[in-house]
Amino acid sequence: MVLYSFYIFDRHTECIYSRRWTPARPTSSSSKARPQSEGSIASNGDNSTQQARKHTDDEKLIFGLVFSLRNMVQKLGGEDDTFLSYRTTEYKLHYYETPTRMKFVMLTDTKQNNLRPYLHQIWANLYVEYVVKNPLAPVEHPGGIGVANEMFERGLETFFVAVLPA
Amino acid sequence: MSSSSTPGPGLRYPSNKKTIYDRNLNRTKNAELSRAAFAYLFIEMISYAQRGAKDVGDLEQRLNNQGYPLGVRLLDLLLTRSANPLSSIRPTRILPLLQFIAQQLYRHLFGRPADALERSGSDAAQYMIFDNEPMVNTYISLPRELSSLNCAAFVAGIIEGVCDGAGFPTEGVSAHSVGEQEAEAAGAEGKKGAAMWPGKTVFLIKFKKEVLEREEILARGTSG
Amino acid sequence: MVVFALFIISKSGGLIYNREFHTGLNKLSSNDLLMVAGSFHGMHEITKQLCPNPPPPTIPSNTAPTPFAARATGLEVLETSQFRMQCFQTLTGVKFLLFTEPQQPNIDTILKKIYELYADFVMKNPFYTVEMPVRCEKFDRGLDGFVKVRG
Repeated sequence: MVLYSFYIFDRHTECIYSRRWTPARPTSSSSKARPQSEGSIASNGDNSTQQARKHTDDEKLIFGLVFSLRNMVQKLGGEDDTFLSYRTTEYKLHYYETPTRMKFVMLTDTKQNNLRPYLHQIWANLYVEYVVKNPLAPVEHPGGIGVANEMFERGLETFFVAVLPA
Repeated sequence: MSSSSTPGPGLRYPSNKKTIYDRNLNRTKNAELSRAAFAYLFIEMISYAQRGAKDVGDLEQRLNNQGYPLGVRLLDLLLTRSANPLSSIRPTRILPLLQFIAQQLYRHLFGRPADALERSGSDAAQYMIFDNEPMVNTYISLPRELSSLNCAAFVAGIIEGVCDGAGFPTEGVSAHSVGEQEAEAAGAEGKKGAAMWPGKTVFLIKFKKEVLEREEILARGTSG
Repeated sequence: MVVFALFIISKSGGLIYNREFHTGLNKLSSNDLLMVAGSFHGMHEITKQLCPNPPPPTIPSNTAPTPFAARATGLEVLETSQFRMQCFQTLTGVKFLLFTEPQQPNIDTILKKIYELYADFVMKNPFYTVEMPVRCEKFDRGLDGFVKVRG
């Protein structure tokens, strides 16, 4: 399976952890000739700041999107209905919300079934174990402090390699 | 019709007497026009008629006027084209005329005959042609403020044109929706066949007095 | 199989048709429905932009570029624990939203048929104005017949 990106949002709407695996696109002469569309990540050398801004924009967009989708779903399906995932022709977004209103979001290719159980596992087995139970980590994580510690990163790495369906 | 193919003024006839007027536009016999193309054309015809129409009656009259010239021409065309030389004579009695409308004309326009043909019980001058599902109304849903409109008024105009062209002047041909009344009646009797043909339409043809008088004389002539 | 409801959203984001076939979704006031439709219209646009891996422009040099190829589509299927929503967007930008049970099969064919009914009884109706709410008796009847026959 192809994993595009993974985000954790805390209850203050802040993105406290993000990872992306967007494959580098080959720069063909034809794609350079035409104007780059908004959605594509520029592949030239010296626009890392631009790229970084693009990433935070993406985070905000995704948060806003899942937030409003969740609200819409609850409006239509009732209070106990939960938003699970959506799919476009290019990607699929999986969503899991913890009881503490933290939101786990994962973008994959379109062929995956719902990955909510895996997101739940990440929360229960990795986030709670290595971030919540870490005595050195603060209670809140403004700017992502204390989330991306070595244990959590390593655990996540093995999880993606070993547990997620190939 | 001259059988020789001598060149001269007027129409030239090929040796096999098949002129372009004898041929269908479509080479194959059962070829049909695109229904969607007609639907879109009809949309424009209706909105053209709607422009400046005072009320529903006026709108129906305008649609009727659009159909009328078509009827006059179709009478000629269908009579010219009919394969049997005996039947290519203009109908001179009411019944053959109505048969012609319900069969040939309907087949030519809609690919099927009309569903019923009746003479009014109350008025001897009135005849009714029934169409369970007028093709022109296939895609039309009437808005509430125009619920009494029946766009088959266009077809009524064609029928009027045929009648007039054949020498049967009418007081007017009008289209009326009867599907709902019938459904109600059927509903009262126990829902059998209720709303079976919600779009059922009747074309009321009311001939002028002189037509009936002539009809009477002709009837006397054949029987006596 | 259960089909809950059908929404049609015009290309400017207005709700032009909504129909409930089966209870199961919350009853919403018409105002709320309009809001849901409007916000969905916006979200659909965002899901287009979020595409993590936009397809490379594969336009052969010998053909004219078409406006329809390689265009990112927005949200197509939304899954929740209670229902599944499939969105079908026509080339003219009209969106059909069909709400069904989560396990509903063959939604594509249902939507295609609904699109057909729309093209016939709404677009070919002389009394329908584009972008306005759909009030066509024959469209309603066609939907009824189709959904009930399948149900």
